[in-house]
Amino acid sequence: MSDAGTQDREPEGDDIVAAEYVLGLQTAEERTAAQRRIDASREFAARVDRWEAHFAPLAASFEEVEPPAGVKQRIDRALFTSAASNAKERPGIWSSLAVWRTLAIGALAALVAFVALPQLQPSPQQEGHRMVASLSAEGSDVHFMAMVDHDTNSISLSHVSGQRAAGRDFELWMIEGQNPPVSLGVIPQGETFRMQMPAPLAEHVNRGNVFAISLEPTGGSPTGQPTGPVVAAGGLTEI
Amino acid sequence: MTAQDITKLIVRTSMKDREAFDLLYRATSAKLFGVCLRVLKDRAEAEEALQEVFVKIWTKADRFAVSELSPISWLVAVARNHAIDRVRLKRHKTTDIDEAYDVADTAPTPEAAAMAGGERDRVFTCLDELESDRAAAVRGAYLDGESYLDLAERFKVPLNTMRTWLRRSLMKLRDCLER
Repeated sequence: MSDAGTQDREPEGDDIVAAEYVLGLQTAEERTAAQRRIDASREFAARVDRWEAHFAPLAASFEEVEPPAGVKQRIDRALFTSAASNAKERPGIWSSLAVWRTLAIGALAALVAFVALPQLQPSPQQEGHRMVASLSAEGSDVHFMAMVDHDTNSISLSHVSGQRAAGRDFELWMIEGQNPPVSLGVIPQGETFRMQMPAPLAEHVNRGNVFAISLEPTGGSPTGQPTGPVVAAGGLTEI
Repeated sequence: MTAQDITKLIVRTSMKDREAFDLLYRATSAKLFGVCLRVLKDRAEAEEALQEVFVKIWTKADRFAVSELSPISWLVAVARNHAIDRVRLKRHKTTDIDEAYDVADTAPTPEAAAMAGGERDRVFTCLDELESDRAAAVRGAYLDGESYLDLAERFKVPLNTMRTWLRRSLMKLRDCLER
């Protein structure tokens, strides 16, 4: 935390930037930059959290005001109608890998739920290398849980929520660092299913990589790269 | 509703439990609407912001697990940050901040002072150690979403002066808060 004596110029500057972000003193551009850093750096995110916690008592001055009933209805409409119409609102999400990575990292609760799903529970002899990801995205109600089993080179997917638009398919992609997405195939209909990965590809499915699901024409992307909106994404975590 | 109840609702929301989301909305929307109204100073804007805030809460509830904040502080942070983002994006249009000041008293309410006991009132003690206009600037930023630029206008000082003032104040505050 504040090892005041040893702090050099740089971290101190970071701390002030974090405070400026929390107070809201910055311009729109500076805020966007700070938000990127929150997504990219745990350390910076922790500084921001610490300032939020410091200032939190001030929030008691925010008076409670009952919002009109229509607000909740609009929220429900925005969240719980078809995935396709919502996903269209976020065409730029492909460019924010950092956002995706952090999307699923904190999904401890979801992870517990996932492991508890009976159809995906590992059998005792499969004590190998396994990873999970919780796939979701802002502005979309599509949510999948994925489990990768390196012993069998397979991906198990559980469809939690969100529907395909008519005449469209969900396609699963893997993104490694700054490389372009690699298709893992079209996701079959159904609540749970298993997809087989070619061995050379399976080797690249590692912790920190991102799984993403895009909405594509029936049969999958015609170009080999995602063409439709990303409706869910999440980073892989070891279990 | 206790902090623990709200935590449970946020965790259930992260698992896409709609019933929990509805309960969370019922328990916290008035507070978060208050946040949006105070920052945005416009009912229609605040309604839109609140809507977006809850969409965010639904999709990002899993992030709460990695935050060190109390549940209500986390929710307030989501709402405040969203409202501030909105204000910044349309900053050039806003002029009536002074007018809004008539209703928005920046001093902590007696309720606030009463609620904040022990460790929690530290920020109030530390703000009191600052010169009064700087403390007012910090409160204005936190509660009313005022930027460096807004504050420079309000206190009639050059932007860079305001920046220097506040950065020094923030360092002082940190030393006091983490003392």
